[in-house]
Amino acid sequence: MSKAVRVDVMEGARIAFFSLGANRMRTVLTTVGIGIGVATLLAIIGIIQGLNASFDKQLASLGSNTLQVSKFPWVIKGDWWMYRNRKNFTLPQVEQIRAQAPFIAAISPIVGRNGDVGFNGQQLSTVDVFGVTQEYFAIGSWQVMSGRSLTDADNAVTRPVAVIGATVAEGLFPGINPLGRSIRIDGRPFQVVGTLARKGKLLERDQDLAVMVPFKTFYSTFGKGRPFSISMAVDQGQDIRKAEEQLVGIVRRVRGTPPGAPDDFSINRPEQLAQTYEQLTGALYGVALGVGFITMLVGGIGIMNIMLVSVRERTREIGIRRALGARKRTIVVQFLMEASAVSAVGGLLGTIVGLGTAKVVSLITPLAADVQAGTIMGGVGFAALVGLLFGIWPAARAANLDPVEALRYE
Amino acid sequence: MSQVNGAGSPRLIDVQDVTRVFHVGGEEVRALRGVSFGISRGEWVAIIGQSGSGKSTLMNVLGCLDTPSSGRYMLNNKDVSHMTDDELAVVRNEEIGFIFQTFQLLPKETALSNVELPLVYRGMRAKERRERARAALAKVHLEHRMHHRPNELSGGQRQRVAIARALVAEPSMLLADEPTGNLDSATGEEIVRLFEELHRAGNTLVLVTHEPKLAARCPRAIRLSDGEIVADGPGRQVALGDLHAPPAQAAGGS
Repeated sequence: MSKAVRVDVMEGARIAFFSLGANRMRTVLTTVGIGIGVATLLAIIGIIQGLNASFDKQLASLGSNTLQVSKFPWVIKGDWWMYRNRKNFTLPQVEQIRAQAPFIAAISPIVGRNGDVGFNGQQLSTVDVFGVTQEYFAIGSWQVMSGRSLTDADNAVTRPVAVIGATVAEGLFPGINPLGRSIRIDGRPFQVVGTLARKGKLLERDQDLAVMVPFKTFYSTFGKGRPFSISMAVDQGQDIRKAEEQLVGIVRRVRGTPPGAPDDFSINRPEQLAQTYEQLTGALYGVALGVGFITMLVGGIGIMNIMLVSVRERTREIGIRRALGARKRTIVVQFLMEASAVSAVGGLLGTIVGLGTAKVVSLITPLAADVQAGTIMGGVGFAALVGLLFGIWPAARAANLDPVEALRYE
Repeated sequence: MSQVNGAGSPRLIDVQDVTRVFHVGGEEVRALRGVSFGISRGEWVAIIGQSGSGKSTLMNVLGCLDTPSSGRYMLNNKDVSHMTDDELAVVRNEEIGFIFQTFQLLPKETALSNVELPLVYRGMRAKERRERARAALAKVHLEHRMHHRPNELSGGQRQRVAIARALVAEPSMLLADEPTGNLDSATGEEIVRLFEELHRAGNTLVLVTHEPKLAARCPRAIRLSDGEIVADGPGRQVALGDLHAPPAQAAGGS
């Protein structure tokens, strides 16, 4: 650091902090403006980041290497009836897809409905009842916690057996071992042969409020009318996008889709949910940033105002400093440092308040707030930058004072 | 008394045909109308004149707070007439020690910090700065008050802090503007004695005043009127019109 720069920075910093301490009340009031801006920004960003983090976790529970081929897309754009008229998949088609797609690690048809599940007078409503095969448990990364999972044998002879999710197990069997017990799914008896480890929520839907039964048992018990989808996991290390592209060709062939006709099926990936979600939060982000910028602008004008007052009050001081050898640049640095110090203090206060707000929101609402360290640094740094920008004009005014006039100022 | 001359001109200050014109509301005010004089190292010179005579303008030019409209001002062999703002700041810091009528101390800083200020802008490290400031305060007999703020000091003490501040950077000259103007006569006398001490120690002093009695105690005085020099000679003679005063020692120390 050259001598001149050292003088500017050291003396500037010293004067800035000295002056902040000397006008404590004014400093506090000025910082409030910037503080509110930073607090607003951080609280909103914190809540959005929290949402994102929990959503990412939820998506991960679906498995990043999973695909689902179905009549219906997860994200429906346009006319629902268009999809409804597509032909249903058949079990032989599942086997054909498996045979033609070497990158598939596991594949299972899946059919589901909502049902009531009861045991011993207790009843749970809107439980997801899925009909799946043995392989399904390898796709959604379901872990068997006790007992066993479903087998091909269960499927082959349509055994009335069920593997139950963690919420069902806790709800119906508090303190009781559910294995071997007979539960009723919409009135039909099923024997519990296994329980599943908890997976958590996906988009506020409890994934553990679920019961798995053999695929064929599902149809024989609940009727044939319902179309099924095909879930699959691709090999680890396989590019999921390439797999999807190849799969489109394979499924078209298997279903005999005429060349040139649009796909009469949808390939769903967790990522597609993520895109929809990001579109949603992107708009929220935009609004949050807009609000934050406006508050920062207001705060910045507050800083500018107070700095102009400060320059006026210290006109004589500026004259004295100039007479004793302070260069214009030294004066500029002094006031810029003062302005950005006030703003940074406001930024810090705002950060604390903003984080606190986000924390409180996450405690009293289901929204999860999560602020990353970078955001905090950004908040303080951004506030300091605002102070710097809005300090430029007052600082320039201070430096351009005529020393003779400034010394005479009363 | 020892006396150090610059390498080139023996004169510390060389003012040649300096004018200063202000434009006030479309009107030209000629505050200085071609002033020429020289001051050598170790001299003690009073600049006197009525208000409006141009002496304040001259003091600002001599102090490098202002630049002449025309003419040449050489200070310590440097032509400062056409320097940039930042260059003038450096010259003020290195060559000039200001002493003002209203003291011009920073009210929230201690005497010591006030005295340190010129050294701060010179980029001196804090430790050395502190030592020099203490020494300068000792020269004006204020070492026991150095941690006091200006409002805890008497007028005379404040002016002595200001003098210490002017001395601390060892400038080529001390430039005093009505230094006793805000002091009672006893305290004023104290300050004048201090100037005499500084003069004997070899410092170059330029004193701007409208008080003939004060100017009379200076070995040399320059009288300004309407922006022109009307007299330049021994202090008593110029200030009081006393023709029996001893001849001026214009070109050297006492």
